[in-house]
Amino acid sequence: MQPIKSIKDIPELDLFTGGSSVCAGCGPSMGLKLALKVLGPKTVIINSAGCMTLLPLFPNTPLKVSWIHNAIENAATTAAGARHGLDALGFKDMNVVVYAGDGATYDIGFASLSSTAIKNERVIYICYNNQSYGNTGFQCTTATPYGSETKTTPRGKENPIGNTNIHKDMLKLMGVHRVYCATASLAYPVDFLNKLNKAKERNGFSYIELLGTCATGWNFDPRYTIKISRLAVRCGMWPLYEIDDRKLSLNKEFKQLKPVDEYLQLQGRYKQLPPDGVTKLQSLVNEHWAQLNEFNAKRYV
Amino acid sequence: MREEELIYKGIHGIPVILEPGNAARVDRSSWRLVRPVYNKDKCIMCKICYTYCPDSAITWTKEGPVINLTSCKGCMICVEECPTDAMSEEKEAS
Ligand SMILES: Cc1ncc(C[n+]2csc(CCOP(=O)(O)OP(=O)(O)O)c2C)c(N)n1
Ligand code: SF4
Ligand code: SF4
Repeated sequence: MQPIKSIKDIPELDLFTGGSSVCAGCGPSMGLKLALKVLGPKTVIINSAGCMTLLPLFPNTPLKVSWIHNAIENAATTAAGARHGLDALGFKDMNVVVYAGDGATYDIGFASLSSTAIKNERVIYICYNNQSYGNTGFQCTTATPYGSETKTTPRGKENPIGNTNIHKDMLKLMGVHRVYCATASLAYPVDFLNKLNKAKERNGFSYIELLGTCATGWNFDPRYTIKISRLAVRCGMWPLYEIDDRKLSLNKEFKQLKPVDEYLQLQGRYKQLPPDGVTKLQSLVNEHWAQLNEFNAKRYV
Repeated sequence: MREEELIYKGIHGIPVILEPGNAARVDRSSWRLVRPVYNKDKCIMCKICYTYCPDSAITWTKEGPVINLTSCKGCMICVEECPTDAMSEEKEAS
């Protein structure tokens, strides 16, 4: 398939309507709307319980493709089952796609994700990472960045940092499963959709992680959804890269990263993060960025 | 069976949605505090607003973007991302 070259080049395929009950400016739902443009009508989405479960809400649905509401624990294995069932019935051209939050992916459904990946089932797994358990009111997951305030990691006198954990390096973890893995951002839709096209052509498992910029949880004006998604990449908080056959490629390279403070300033969840917290977060970003640059075009995992 | 009965009582007691994408008719206009206003003269037909509208409230036509104020939730992403001033913001009458 020819790669998509620009925004104008993205297929004008509308399989996702308005009228759903997700928040105004919702990044994860924008991600799904874009994904369906390349996935096409022959797609079944398996969704773990989370914010996106609100999309098809009886008796209305914004979707023009099939959808399976699933438990949090096992979206990946449900997808493997759907794959085998469709193959047996002769529907080999259907795309089986998981659309799951980071709580479902990093934490509660990790066992099922890992086993499905290791078996290299022909499934595309998209994690929309809003860095929290969004649907239950913004609690901390193992994807929540250091320094972010959440319901379960409130900032206070005793703990001015908020979340003191350093998030899981999920791409590396998925990379060791020897499957195609990539990060994506809403601010770079061409890059995101080309990665999806790549995944679609694979005869095996692929894992794509989209930063699910979330105005409600991250506490910013929804108009800045794209601006913040772009800054996350420019500051090195969300680098765009792929791991294919254990080799790393950086997709967006910058001579110099912008300071993370520029990204943090725009979001209420980092409000009042003390200077030493910002310094620590910057050093974590620098360390990750240096590692990615060191291993660019080399074996990474 | 009447359509309503089919939807709610469903087949074998399982409710069904008969029309994929029927949420397009759900009116979300009361969510808005501000609305986007389109000015064709300033538009460079870049498709950015159409690409980024999370609620598919912008359709793409040969003449450019068309805003559907039934679906628009007033997030202002289109206004913020439009590279010219073709999309601008207007307060809703309360
Ligand atoms: C095993 C289990 N634990 C808890 C819940 C309650 N629950 C429903 S949605 C949700 C949040 C899921 O978070 P995530 O996967 O990150 O998706 P998001 O809500 O952020 O879209 C939780 C904890 C559940 N459904 N199942
Ligand atoms: S304000 Fe938001 S919902 Fe309304 S048309 Fe613009 S991008 Fe779409
Ligand atoms: S983003 Fe602005 S310039 Fe581009 S198509 Fe939409 S209205 Fe026109």
